[in-house]
Amino acid sequence: MFETSSESPAPVRVVSEAIKDYIDRLGPIWIEGEISELNERSGGMAFMRLRDTSADMSISVMCYKTVLASVQPLPANARVVIYAKPSWFTKNGSLTMSAKEIRQVGVGELLARLEALKEKLAAEGLFSADRKIALPRLPRKVGLICGRNTDAEKDVVENARRRWPAVEFEIREVAVQGAAAVVEVSAALSELEALPEVDVIIITRGGGSFEDLLPFSDESLVRLAADCSTPIVSAIGHEKDAPLLDLVADYRASTPTDAAKRVVPDIAQEISDIEKIRDRIFRRLLSTIDYELNQIAQLRNRPVMKDPGVMVTTRRDEIKAWRDRSIRSFASILEIEKKELKGVRDHLRSLSPQSTMDRGYSVVQLSDGSIVRDATKLKTGAVLRIRAAKGETSATVNEK
Amino acid sequence: MAAEKKLSYEEARDELAEIVESLEDGSATLEESLKLWERGEELSKICQEWLDGAKKKLDAAKSTSDKKPAE
Repeated sequence: MFETSSESPAPVRVVSEAIKDYIDRLGPIWIEGEISELNERSGGMAFMRLRDTSADMSISVMCYKTVLASVQPLPANARVVIYAKPSWFTKNGSLTMSAKEIRQVGVGELLARLEALKEKLAAEGLFSADRKIALPRLPRKVGLICGRNTDAEKDVVENARRRWPAVEFEIREVAVQGAAAVVEVSAALSELEALPEVDVIIITRGGGSFEDLLPFSDESLVRLAADCSTPIVSAIGHEKDAPLLDLVADYRASTPTDAAKRVVPDIAQEISDIEKIRDRIFRRLLSTIDYELNQIAQLRNRPVMKDPGVMVTTRRDEIKAWRDRSIRSFASILEIEKKELKGVRDHLRSLSPQSTMDRGYSVVQLSDGSIVRDATKLKTGAVLRIRAAKGETSATVNEK
Repeated sequence: MAAEKKLSYEEARDELAEIVESLEDGSATLEESLKLWERGEELSKICQEWLDGAKKKLDAAKSTSDKKPAE
């Protein structure tokens, strides 16, 4: 370290040489990344930019064209592993990795890594069904992450509008391939996740090469998607492609059109469903009302309600019946009494001496009214009253 | 009468049914019976108006919804 101060600063050359000294002592290392820019200038050198596959970081790399030739032709966004040593250029103070060897990371290698990552995430339960969030029936806003001016974007937007004309989108057009894809898609996802109005997020991209779709299997992106509380629909590539994002998404759409179908309902279907429900309500209500009308009609038609006169006539009939009964009873009592009276009268008549007297008997009484039952007890000169069946006379006892 | 307006359809119907039953039962006095019958008439009118009104409303709603698709 230099001893410096504002009075005795170190000149650029000294500092730059010192940095170079330090960096030159560093040994070569193996680095993996994605080639994002490749510049083969005239002369023997090639310059490129090596990007990280998950983070927005890159370093510059240079090598002899002969080193590069060993892996050419390289596909776009090729994954490579380089053996390089850092070099400091004192002329402009830049750091570049000088590659001594470049190897392309083969598809087989990438597939094996993908498989390992898939197993790891599966073991953590990131793909399990109970983590899936149900898609909203009608989202307030649909988040859409897609490439700029892509068919995938058009397919989603047009199909969703056709089904639900009032659908609102929050669209983020980002890089959907290459080293920037993971960073940009992740940033867009975080942004849309933070918007409260966005109820569902579609991540879509058309078909592409295996390398093109690699960002959608990136561990950091997959984990971010798994942590989102907003449901995610993935529509990446074709049916056969299965990036890890598909496994962690809440719904895996086969195409962008399918994704559009999933996020909004079909307005025509909804209207017809509502009509059917209304019809059912009407029918149900009508039958209830008809039933009740019938109930009330039945109550109104009951004799007590329909002919309230019954209330009076039944009572009048009752009174009449009582009266009749009383008359009948009285008449029969009278009859009995009459018969009884006749009996008594007859009896009385049978007890009277008249009939005996009619047969020729007479009743002899003394002056005090007592009846003469013993003639021997009569005194001479006693006055007797003689009552015949008809009339009476008097007599005097002459002798004994 | 203001209290009458608050009577729900079910309340009116149940009361009416009770009245008809006690009238048919015949245990009430004539004076009571007369009152019950008047009340029954009143209640049956309330029920009928209630149901007629509901049906009318329903028909109106149905006819407006049926018109819509033609617009």
